[in-house]
Amino acid sequence: MTVRLADDGAIMLEGNCPVEDAETLARFLLLDPSAAVDWRTCEKAHAAVIQILLTARPLMRGSPRSAFLRDWVTPVVSRSPAIQR
Amino acid sequence: MNDLLEQFLIECRELVEAATQDLLALEAAPDEKERIDSAFRGFHTLKGAAGIVEFPAMGQVMHAAEDVLASVRGGDRPVSADLIGDCLSCLDLLVQWLDAIAENGAIPVAPDEAVTSLVARLARSPADAGPEARVDDAGWLAGFLDRHRTLLRQARAAFRYVPDADCFFRGEDPLALVARVPGILALELSPREPWPPLEELNPFECNLIVTVLTASSPDETSAVLRSVSGQVAIHPLAESPAGDGDLSPDARKVLEEQSRLAANGAAEGFAGRLGSSGRVAINVLRHAGMAEAAETVSLALARSQSDNNSEAFLAALRTVLEPPAEATESGAAGDPLAAPRTRAARALRIDVERIDALVSLAGELTAVKNAVGHSAQRAREGVDPDSLARALKDQHALLDRLVAELRRAVLEIRVLPMRQTFQQFPRLVREMARDLGKPVRLTIEGETTEADKATVEALFEPLLHVLRNALDHGIESAADRLAADKPATATVVLRATREGDQVIVEVTDDGRGIDPAVIRRVAAERGVATEAALAEMPDAAVIELIFAPGFSTAAAVTGLSGRGVGMDAVRSAVARLGGRVTVSSQPGAGTSVRFILPFSVLMLRVMTVEVGGQVFGIPIDAVIETIRVPRDRISRAGAASVIVLRDRTLPLIPLADLLHLSEPGEANDGADARVVVVSAAGQTGALEVEKLGERMDVMLKPMEGLLSGATGLAGTTLLGDGRVLIVLDLQELLA
Repeated sequence: MTVRLADDGAIMLEGNCPVEDAETLARFLLLDPSAAVDWRTCEKAHAAVIQILLTARPLMRGSPRSAFLRDWVTPVVSRSPAIQR
Repeated sequence: MNDLLEQFLIECRELVEAATQDLLALEAAPDEKERIDSAFRGFHTLKGAAGIVEFPAMGQVMHAAEDVLASVRGGDRPVSADLIGDCLSCLDLLVQWLDAIAENGAIPVAPDEAVTSLVARLARSPADAGPEARVDDAGWLAGFLDRHRTLLRQARAAFRYVPDADCFFRGEDPLALVARVPGILALELSPREPWPPLEELNPFECNLIVTVLTASSPDETSAVLRSVSGQVAIHPLAESPAGDGDLSPDARKVLEEQSRLAANGAAEGFAGRLGSSGRVAINVLRHAGMAEAAETVSLALARSQSDNNSEAFLAALRTVLEPPAEATESGAAGDPLAAPRTRAARALRIDVERIDALVSLAGELTAVKNAVGHSAQRAREGVDPDSLARALKDQHALLDRLVAELRRAVLEIRVLPMRQTFQQFPRLVREMARDLGKPVRLTIEGETTEADKATVEALFEPLLHVLRNALDHGIESAADRLAADKPATATVVLRATREGDQVIVEVTDDGRGIDPAVIRRVAAERGVATEAALAEMPDAAVIELIFAPGFSTAAAVTGLSGRGVGMDAVRSAVARLGGRVTVSSQPGAGTSVRFILPFSVLMLRVMTVEVGGQVFGIPIDAVIETIRVPRDRISRAGAASVIVLRDRTLPLIPLADLLHLSEPGEANDGADARVVVVSAAGQTGALEVEKLGERMDVMLKPMEGLLSGATGLAGTTLLGDGRVLIVLDLQELLA
């Protein structure tokens, strides 16, 4: 599984997260809306996964490995909902 | 430009405005049959106008829109946001053409591509146009480019990719695809429909819109996105857009004139003329914000002067003058940035009654003129001086009345309803709301409220800025609003009211309000005030800090309102109109920004006073009363003088001191002090003057040139005896 719960309750996104991860991620976030998402080892994430992050706006931990995600998606995802565009 | 075209421009602009209002109203209430009819008639009339001036491209576009509205009217097609958007795009294109006509005086060459694509889009039947299939909503581009203004120099294309909702099922990954586009400069991810709460989100339905600015060419970009071409709108961008420095038509004219003057090399005084032409040209360019061009021209000028030959200078001017010509062409081709809709129409439509009033006044003035001539004749004949004086006095009284009426009538011509400016906002707010993905309803009240033309027109920019701020920062996302027990659709009210000699324009939103704690923190961070001072300030005063120079939360967080100008620009724009701005806010419930403006910027009732042998005017609306105070009633409180007036202690300030005119104490002995009690900048004070003068209405001329920066002076006017009356700005003097 490329999405899993860590011991401290954080949700880990690892490696190449396919479209199926979206549902799992959504379920984890619904169970614990305050859970942080750690995507430091994430190399690729399907748009469906990013879409979950944009909806739930969890606390993002670190920045992902892929340059595309780091440069273009991180700023959108980690912007707090208060100033979301 | 011929009369026919001029009339065409005026009529078209009016029709465009009316049709825009109809379309927006239709979007809000799709069942309003009258609006459909009215919009349909509008497009129909525009089509007819196109035929009269022989502008086939325009006829084609208007016809397509007319067809669409006809099918709506016949019940064959429902009103949708896309349909309204398409019709509005037609009007946008038309406005660009109209601007081009106004500029060049000729019908623009039909830019086929823009016309064909628009017509094709309109002709498309609703069956093959699902709600998400329509990606080319022209509204997104302007806002997007504006947010990434700084990157435009490198950008060669912008695209908006609205993936089909079911694309995940087809195994598509929109982001992975976009990631393959080389040279991404900016990327925005926004929801197509506002994000639902997580539990309601269908994780396998794509709700994303990806908007990207790239340094790749449109061809490269479309090659990468070929597989989803139906879901992508790519807009080519000129390699080096004109940027900020764009020449206004007036500036162009001045520059052309300079190059004509300088070209005349044989005539006498060539060197001097070249020098002055050059200086004018450089100033014009600097003024237009084209510092680079100014630099180039100035170098060329130096070369020309040393060669005693205007060649280099002329060549430099030519390069400056030529590129914008291309820009005009691309504007006609449908680049929404090239022709800002904000440009105010130059022509002024005047009520016939007001003209009639002027005509009859002219008649009466002629009668008085004849009577004065008659009196002059009698004076030469040596009639009784007493009867002559009586006649002259009557005639003077008559003249006095007529001149007053004339002045009033002329000023009334300059009075416009706020509608002139307000009517542009429903459209702009609609676009901003779409860009932000926040549902917003704009309610306009009091659009018939009148004010001076200058005020009404100059309100556009500051109001736009305040509205942007409200949408960007004030209003929460739909999800946040629902969480806060508010309706998902936010309401912004734009309201104008007349209160006596003042016009109040208010923008009120029902958003999250301004949090004084946040303002305190940011103000401290940006060094607007010290933390200690901020802690002591009441919340209301803290909120007003958003107007302080250097305070712009906007610039820091988002692109939409952050354009390097903060609310301090709004405040100074309103101050230029003689008004002021206040803000009030209820955390959680919304923010209200009020512009308090004088009804007329031109006429000012002043009271004259004398100090230090000079006459000054004090605006009467600041004067509470004038009194004489015996010297023994003036007491001292430390270094200052105070008087007690009806149990209130007021500081007594010699006006001469305030203006640094004479030594205090001069000519003060014995006689009662003459005091003007004034109220300005929220405080009441007493000004001691040497002499009280008369009251008069003056046409205030703003301070210009070197004096424009002088504080405490509102403007000048000429007195009957030819002296200049300086009118004081007590707001500034007492602040």
